Amino acid sequence: MKKVTVGTLESSDCQITLSPATHRHVVIDSVVQAVFGEAIEAVIHRVLDQAGLDSVRVDVIDKGALDYAIEARLKTAIKYYEEAADEKELSIHTG
Amino acid sequence: MRRSYLFIPGDVPRMLQNLDVFDADAVIIDFEDGVHPDQKEAARQLTRAFLKHHATRDVAVFVRVNAWEEAAWFQEDLACLSGSPLSGIVLPKAHPKHLTDVVFALEEAGLPMQIVALLETPEVFFHALELAKHPAVSGLLLGGEDLTQALGVPRTSAGDEILFARSTLVYAAKAFNKEAIDTPFTTVDDRDGLLADAHKANALGFTGKAAIHPNHIHDIHVAFAPSVEAIETAERILRRSETLKSMRFSLDGKMVDKPVVERARALLLRAAASRRR
Repeated sequence: MKKVTVGTLESSDCQITLSPATHRHVVIDSVVQAVFGEAIEAVIHRVLDQAGLDSVRVDVIDKGALDYAIEARLKTAIKYYEEAADEKELSIHTG
Repeated sequence: MRRSYLFIPGDVPRMLQNLDVFDADAVIIDFEDGVHPDQKEAARQLTRAFLKHHATRDVAVFVRVNAWEEAAWFQEDLACLSGSPLSGIVLPKAHPKHLTDVVFALEEAGLPMQIVALLETPEVFFHALELAKHPAVSGLLLGGEDLTQALGVPRTSAGDEILFARSTLVYAAKAFNKEAIDTPFTTVDDRDGLLADAHKANALGFTGKAAIHPNHIHDIHVAFAPSVEAIETAERILRRSETLKSMRFSLDGKMVDKPVVERARALLLRAAASRRR
């Protein structure tokens, strides 16, 4: 499965990378880590739970994104990640 | 009537979360030309999440979705916006032949029946009345860049190349009491040029103007607000009309009749509305 990266490193935004893993692993690098690190992680886990995604590594570089932006960036990343997975399955079936 | 419509790219969080601090009467979150094809999905997700979690104060929020002809993008835009608290959509490449389908799609998505039709092809100006007449269309917006590109002429600050389009759009909108919204002024740092362009739009009968930069909002509001002299004259006309119990008299050597009195009344209402904002 491919690695997928979305978002930017501009202020109020974040960059999220999804890559295959044997279990869920979340790594956060934030300019507001001390205050909001746990809150960011909670958003990540909530969205992953909703998507039913467990075998994935999530790398977040946060530049002060609000919760809605983190949620939206992660949902976009999951969509592309799952599309990439579907393409690979298709190539296996047709290959 | 809204004086200003500010375009904001849908894929830039710092713009989205500040959309109600720019003092625009309306904002247009852009999914179309201002968003790269690779970022369409990001714009949809960011906008949906933002509107879900953040109440917007004192500003009407529209989304410029992708054009009806871009069928897949258009459907994904509406599906993602479904149920969002929008004032309406801006429909690019608007044409009367698509309106029934667009209205059906809006109904299905649970979105409000408020369409600002973006006129940006030479042909559609010959259908402007049909667009303005449609009950779901709340306003007509001129797309000057695409129009001049289709005409094969450069945009100029004087704007002679879009005069026919401007006047046609205003007449069609006014015929059905819809908003007539002028194309944005696209040079960010030319304040004199912006003021001249906005004054011209106001003089032609537009009710408002779109903007591509927050710094343009104040000058657009200045241009669309009645001048102090115009307010004073209107007040004198109404006072004299009231005193004489007549709508036909002379003031400062000029003939005043019913349309002039009504125009004075409308101007004072517009001035009061500007002050309230």
